[in-house]
Amino acid sequence: MLRCFLCTLMLLLAPLPALAEEQPQFTLLTSDGRQLRIVSELSPLAINRIHSWRLYLTDADNTPVHGAEISVTGGMPDHDHGLPTRPRLTGEPEPGVYLLEGVRFHMPGRWRMDFSIALNGGPDSASLEFEL
Amino acid sequence: MNKTPALVCALALATLLVWLLAPMSLPERWSDSETALIASLSLSALPLLGPDPGNAVADDERAARLGHRLFFDTRLSSNSTVSCATCHRPELAFSDGLPIAVGTGMGERNTPGLIGIAHSPWFYWDGRRDSQWAQALAPLETHFEQGAGRGAVARLLAGDAAYRAMYQELFGELPAADQIPRHASPRGDEAARSNWRGLDPASQAAINTAFANAGKALAAYQRKLMPGRGRFDDYADRVAQDGAVRQDGRLSRDELAGLGLFIGGAQCVNCHNGPLLSNHDFHNTGILPVAGQMPSMGRFDGVLEARRDAFNCLGEFSDAAPGQCLELRFARDDTELAGAHKTPGLRNVVRTAPYMHTGAFATLAEVLEHYNEAPVAMLGHNEAKPLGLSRRELRQLEAFLHSLDAPPDTASQWLTPPGKRQRNPERELPDR
Repeated sequence: MLRCFLCTLMLLLAPLPALAEEQPQFTLLTSDGRQLRIVSELSPLAINRIHSWRLYLTDADNTPVHGAEISVTGGMPDHDHGLPTRPRLTGEPEPGVYLLEGVRFHMPGRWRMDFSIALNGGPDSASLEFEL
Repeated sequence: MNKTPALVCALALATLLVWLLAPMSLPERWSDSETALIASLSLSALPLLGPDPGNAVADDERAARLGHRLFFDTRLSSNSTVSCATCHRPELAFSDGLPIAVGTGMGERNTPGLIGIAHSPWFYWDGRRDSQWAQALAPLETHFEQGAGRGAVARLLAGDAAYRAMYQELFGELPAADQIPRHASPRGDEAARSNWRGLDPASQAAINTAFANAGKALAAYQRKLMPGRGRFDDYADRVAQDGAVRQDGRLSRDELAGLGLFIGGAQCVNCHNGPLLSNHDFHNTGILPVAGQMPSMGRFDGVLEARRDAFNCLGEFSDAAPGQCLELRFARDDTELAGAHKTPGLRNVVRTAPYMHTGAFATLAEVLEHYNEAPVAMLGHNEAKPLGLSRRELRQLEAFLHSLDAPPDTASQWLTPPGKRQRNPERELPDR
C-alpha cells in the first residue's frame, strides 16, 4: 500500500513556462505507471491569474483512462504554505481528459502540485514541481 | 600615558564612519532573474483592466459619472455627513490618514487606498466581498461607516431629479421616491429590519435592484483610479532592455540598494509582486489586534461572508454567468487563512500611512522593523521569518518605496467632487 500513498515523481518533460511559446505542459509518470500530461490553458504560466489546466491520463499502453477521480493539493515547500485557491476537477470533456479549474499561483518561486487519482483498480498518485 | 586605547577607539570610530557613510558598491548588472523580477514590477507590465463580468456598466462613462456623484455625496449616510470620499480622500491616494476609519462611528479597520484596486479580485482586508461593486454597497449599510441603508439609497436615486435621470438612462425605471421607505434594510437596526419585512417581495426586489446598481455605478467610477508611472517605472523599463544597474540618477544609490533587497534578501517581492506590488492574496504577518478588539480571523471569516453575500458574483443581482465567477467558486477556506489579511499594493504607499489593517504603524520605518523581527502571531502563524537586516538596509528599503510614488493616471475631473472646479491636489505634489 505504501506505494499508493507515496508520490513518485517522474518529471519527463517540464519546459520552463516563460520559454514556451505553445501552451505550457508537463508530463508525469504516476506511481502505478500511468502517464499524466498536464496542459495549462494560461500561456505562459504566470502568477496572480486564475485559469484552468487540462489533465490527460493514459495507461502504460497509451489508452485514455476514463472515469478517474482526481483531487489536487499543493503549495510552496520553501514557504510552508498551500495553494491560494482550491482547484478541483469540474468535468471530463473527452474520455481520459479532465478539466481542472481554479488554478492560481500568487508568488514567484518553487511550487509543488500533488495529484491523487482514484480508480477502480486502486489509488494512484503523481507530483509535479516547477518554478514560476 | 599609553595612547594605544585611544588609537584603537579612533580607528574603530573611523571604520564605523566609513562603513556608514561611504557609498556602497553596487553590481554593474542585475542577474537575469533579478532583471525579470524588476521588469515584472513596472507599470509597463500592468495589463489593461479586464472586464468585471458581474457589472455590465463597469466601463460605461455614464455609470462612472453617476458613481462619481455618489462617491462624494454625504446624503448616502445616516447623518448626511459622511460620503465615500470622507474616508477615501483623493489627496491621500484615497485613504484617510487615520489608524482606524471614522465614518458615522468608530470603525474597525484601517482605510485602504483605492488607486489601482480595481485590478484585485477581492475587496476588504479580509476579502469579504468578491467585486468592487459588491464592496461599494457594504459601507452604505454598515452603521459605523455610512449606514444609510438600501432604502435610503434607492429613495435618493428616485427622488433626486439628476440622479433619477442618470439612473434611468442606464438601468431603466425606478419606483417613485414616496413608495420607498427611507429606513428599510435587512441589515439595519430593528426598525429598519421591521420596515423591510413589511415590504412586499416586488418592492424589496425593486429596492435591491436600485441598490445593486448604485454599487455598480460606484465601481465604474473607482475603475478610473489608476496608478501613474513613477521614477521606478522608467528605471525598470531601462533595466528590462539590458540588465544594467545604471547610475544615471533615475534612482539614488540607496533606492537601488533598497530595490535589490526588495527583490532579494528582504523577500518583499514574494507577496508584493506584479506591477501593483500586490498578489491580491491573504497572508498572516503577525499583526497584533487593535486594542480592545479580539484578533481578527481575517480571510478565514472573509471568504465565508463573501459566499453568503447576496450581491456576490453568483447572486441574482450579478450580471455574470456562474462560469465567470472563478475566484468565488474556487476560493480556499481552510484554517491556514486564520489571521490572514490582504496584501496591500505599494504604488502610493508613502501617502497612505498609518499602515496594516490595524493602522498599528505610523511610519514605513515601523512597518519594516516589524517585518525585520517577524514576531510570533497571536492567531495562526506568521508566514514571515525574521530578516536580520541592518538599520542601513531598512532605510534603503524605505527609500526604494518612495521611488514608486507618482500622481495617479486619472483625469483630474475624477479627483474632485463633480461640478467643482478645484485644483488637483495630487498633481500639485512635486516629484521627488
